[in-house]
Amino acid sequence: MRRKILDILCCPVCKGDLTLSVAEENEKEIIEGVLTCNACRVDYPIHDGIPNLLPQNTCE
Amino acid sequence: MEHDPAQVYTPADDTFLLLDAARQEARPRDSVLEIGTGSGYIAGELRKAVRRVVATEINPHAAASAREQGIDVIRTDLFAGVRGTFDLIIFNPPYLPTAPEERIGDWLEYALDGGISGREVIARFLSGAGRVLAPGGRILLLISSLTGLPNVTGIAFEEKYYAEVVRDQVVEGERLYVIRLKRNGKS
Repeated sequence: MRRKILDILCCPVCKGDLTLSVAEENEKEIIEGVLTCNACRVDYPIHDGIPNLLPQNTCE
Repeated sequence: MEHDPAQVYTPADDTFLLLDAARQEARPRDSVLEIGTGSGYIAGELRKAVRRVVATEINPHAAASAREQGIDVIRTDLFAGVRGTFDLIIFNPPYLPTAPEERIGDWLEYALDGGISGREVIARFLSGAGRVLAPGGRILLLISSLTGLPNVTGIAFEEKYYAEVVRDQVVEGERLYVIRLKRNGKS
């Protein structure tokens, strides 16, 4: 996930802001990390370079 | 992630028809959102012609495939995890009428299964797309005669879009359509 798409991401449930925490990043993009919705108190993972913005209580 | 190509929709006639329409529709300054990008084929081809392309995909195998093409892909349902507005939204939805007993229960189903009417995902899309569509923005939506052209344009009208058919092509017993949608009125 490139940092420049952060501005178009939101919580899929409340549409609120997400806070980014990076665990692994290369010169191109974020590979592993977490996007947190503080309002919903939910963490959405970034895994293998892809942000997963599926509702976390119902996804597999 | 090791992704399984058998779980990703392979570009087919519908893909090529939608890409053809999108190439004509896209303008260099457009910010484009592709919903359900699948393999990422259309997004990858359009990237050269516009300012920005972002794609969503619910199927993890397809999302991984699109990322391998260098697409900015977000794993989410339709546009649930996306905000901001886009000048052009492109969607090749699951449009096949599918009875519960016909469901196959794999990831490919998300590319195909339009519910009993074939219009369930399209209706959800049209009901929410206004949130991410820029003023004056356009939508290109691919459907089939199996989905029902009058039914889909009817839903679009109820959601306050003008609809016009910009491409059509007969493919093995069905007719594919690309519909161009714009908001009614000045908004």
